[in-house]
Amino acid sequence: MNKAQLHLHACLECDLLIDMPDVISHRTNVHCPRCNHSIAMGHNNAKQYVLAMSFTALILMVIACTFSFISFSSNEQIRTINLLQTFTELYTQEYYFVAVLVFSFILLLPTLYLTSVCLIILSTYRNFEILPSVWLGKLMSHILPWSMAEVFLIGVLVALIKMTSMADISLESSFWAYVIFAPLFTHIVSVIDSHRLWDWIEQARASPHG
Amino acid sequence: MVNSIKPKTAANSGLVNCRVCHQLAPITTTHCQRCSTALSSRVKNSVQISLSLLVTSILLYIPANIYPIMSTELLGKTTESTIIGGIILFLEHGSYFIAVVILIASVIVPIAKMFALAWLCYCATRADDIKQYELTKLYRVTEFIGKWSMVDVFVVSILVALIQLGEIMSIKVGFAATAFAAVVIMTMISAHQFDTRILWDKVD
Repeated sequence: MNKAQLHLHACLECDLLIDMPDVISHRTNVHCPRCNHSIAMGHNNAKQYVLAMSFTALILMVIACTFSFISFSSNEQIRTINLLQTFTELYTQEYYFVAVLVFSFILLLPTLYLTSVCLIILSTYRNFEILPSVWLGKLMSHILPWSMAEVFLIGVLVALIKMTSMADISLESSFWAYVIFAPLFTHIVSVIDSHRLWDWIEQARASPHG
Repeated sequence: MVNSIKPKTAANSGLVNCRVCHQLAPITTTHCQRCSTALSSRVKNSVQISLSLLVTSILLYIPANIYPIMSTELLGKTTESTIIGGIILFLEHGSYFIAVVILIASVIVPIAKMFALAWLCYCATRADDIKQYELTKLYRVTEFIGKWSMVDVFVVSILVALIQLGEIMSIKVGFAATAFAAVVIMTMISAHQFDTRILWDKVD
């Protein structure tokens, strides 16, 4: 790998070779000149920003999993569910495939994604890698298309509109945590472009192990 | 986006791009030096794989619409509803907003996605001049809308979890939920397997 190739980048969608600029100014996008595919986005302190936002999102996820989600009352009967019951109930009805999918899409994969990015950023600061960064980077690129936090949020809203006509609904703390989590997750994903992510992984690998 | 001179791509410069970490390597390299992913200049048999997954999803879309997606038990009386049946029920009840959301997410989006993928595969194998820029845009839209079809499955999962009041009112899932989730996954993988670079190769 020679020096010139380090700044070359091939567009993922049309294979055009692009000379990457050394510095991308804050909040400007680098687009492919031929197919307009967005390649990288400048951010002044992406590392600290993403780390802080990811920690926030992870805390919100913990809140969303521990407290109750929505409660529903009809004819003096009250039922309160937590977030986990959205898939455990499917599991008890023996729809294992759908249950596993819902669990992965709304909870497991977003959490794994955020944990991975946190670990990668932390290993660029400290001289140790808890898990190999390259492995985490590959994992992140594979799970990203399958994270559906924002889709689930829309699903919750549709279900709520549907149920308000049938019974009294009250929204609990876990619901509000997820309402903040989903847009935050989408925002974090938009800040982490793969160009920057692999720069971090290179940094993490370059730092001496000890 | 007209290019009069032959554009310099990775493939005609003797380079291969890693799909995972986006690092360039000489075209003879078999595995990426950085992330050890298997390298190939274009996704092998991309159109065939996309098409076969597309056909699978079309076939799965049939049980997704025939079987009930959920059954509601209200005071001992059980009513089963399919996806289309649910939309009609919402329209009759006057909840136009939900009807439109469910219609878009579970009928229009999957069908539009299937047509888009079929069109992309057709254009990729056709030899005539094609509009690369517009097709790439179409691909991006297809990839973006993919996961939004899952809304219906999520709605069902929440309703099933929440509405469990025994005899008075309870909701059970139906087989269509499994079939529909499989449709979404198949179309998503199909879109992911489609390599837009083969459209652009026709410029060179």
